[in-house]
Amino acid sequence: MLHTLASAAADTPAPMAGATLYHYLVVSAIMFVIGLIGFLTRRNLIIMFLCTELMFQAAGIALIAFSRFHLNHTGETFVIFVLTVAAAEAAMALALVVLLFRRKETLDGTVWGDLKG
Amino acid sequence: MRSVPARPVRLIDGLVGATTLNHLVSPIILYAACGLGALGVALALPKRTFSPFIVGGIIAAIAFGLLMIGLGVATPADQRPNILFYVFAGIALLASLRVITHPRPIYAALYFVLTILASSGLYLLLTAEFMAFALIIVYAGAILITYLFVIMLATETPSADEMDTLNDYDRFAREPIAATIAGFVLLGALTTVLSTGAAKALPETRLATVNGQQISLLTRKVETVLRDTRDATGKPLLAAGETVASVEGGENGIIKIAGEAGSVTRTIPRAEWPADVTVENIEGVAFTLIGAHPGAIEIAGIILLMAMLGAVVLARKKVDIDEAATHEAMNVLGEKAPGAAQ
Repeated sequence: MLHTLASAAADTPAPMAGATLYHYLVVSAIMFVIGLIGFLTRRNLIIMFLCTELMFQAAGIALIAFSRFHLNHTGETFVIFVLTVAAAEAAMALALVVLLFRRKETLDGTVWGDLKG
Repeated sequence: MRSVPARPVRLIDGLVGATTLNHLVSPIILYAACGLGALGVALALPKRTFSPFIVGGIIAAIAFGLLMIGLGVATPADQRPNILFYVFAGIALLASLRVITHPRPIYAALYFVLTILASSGLYLLLTAEFMAFALIIVYAGAILITYLFVIMLATETPSADEMDTLNDYDRFAREPIAATIAGFVLLGALTTVLSTGAAKALPETRLATVNGQQISLLTRKVETVLRDTRDATGKPLLAAGETVASVEGGENGIIKIAGEAGSVTRTIPRAEWPADVTVENIEGVAFTLIGAHPGAIEIAGIILLMAMLGAVVLARKKVDIDEAATHEAMNVLGEKAPGAAQ
């Protein structure tokens, strides 16, 4: 029965939640920095956008950890909107990537360096 | 609707208590781990000279392990994370390292799926079940498929003599050393700020049990739980003709049960409630989402609609209809074709 399964965990502390907030924030910070380094170094436009998703993901982990920390659901609700914006951004960005690819027939981000003037 | 959960005192203690860096992790370990991690990432990035991903990955993993050991030593024994935390965090970070180092975009996207799966594991550890599954559905299911399609669409057709070569822009990173140094200086600063400001513990009570006011809105759920739960003699807690009249949450909560006539016949005090009479994660998210932020949902819907329209408009391809077909269409419409004989 589902109810008896869940009832064991309901009043006792959730056994997996022993980690401190700092642990999750450190993981989130490392993931954000990896995404940042990827965005700065990779030249493929698609991988650059993948790295922005990585940074979104890091922000999501921090938000969920704070939501758990403060014992309310506001952080989780905010992650829903982060997901929405990430989906909208992915659709737009990928349409732009297709457009840029048609213009220069390459996914190399550095060929647009002449915009520096 | 907006209930303020009772907060354990230890939460505040933790916020005030963690004032020094030494309280959580020794600065030497922290900065050594940052430097080691930078070395590992710089080695792993694709470079013109040589880029041993295995060596770089191992060094980065050692750096992460060092940081976690330093953090674990500084944490009180009862607050050390479960082994699953290390497993999920390690998988997520190694996979995200592989996202930025793999030369082939398809594999990078697939490693990103692995990152998503591991971080939804982290969400589960944080008892955010709804977001964990929403993350898998939205990210791994929808966004990444879009990425894969674009990778397939926007790839140069390989010629016959070089079927399996990578493009230069996939093989070599741009300024890997400088970017890594910049990134890890940022990481060092971030973690330093975190350790001086962030508290040390997550609260230990389950989120759901403290939300007193929300449970009073869920009388139907309480009714179902009571019908499904049986007491020691095997009888359901709620008999066939009875219904739940009202529920009051909180420390001195009470369930009022009405008989067939409609008047309250008996009550169940808080101490005798079945453990399932709580507000689960998904119900709490729903209360916050629909109750506290209804306007934001509408705005999110408009953003998605605009993004869809924008993507369609941007990626649209102008189709060139050939001359004869244009003339034919014009004739059908009874118009003069442009450029036709005067």
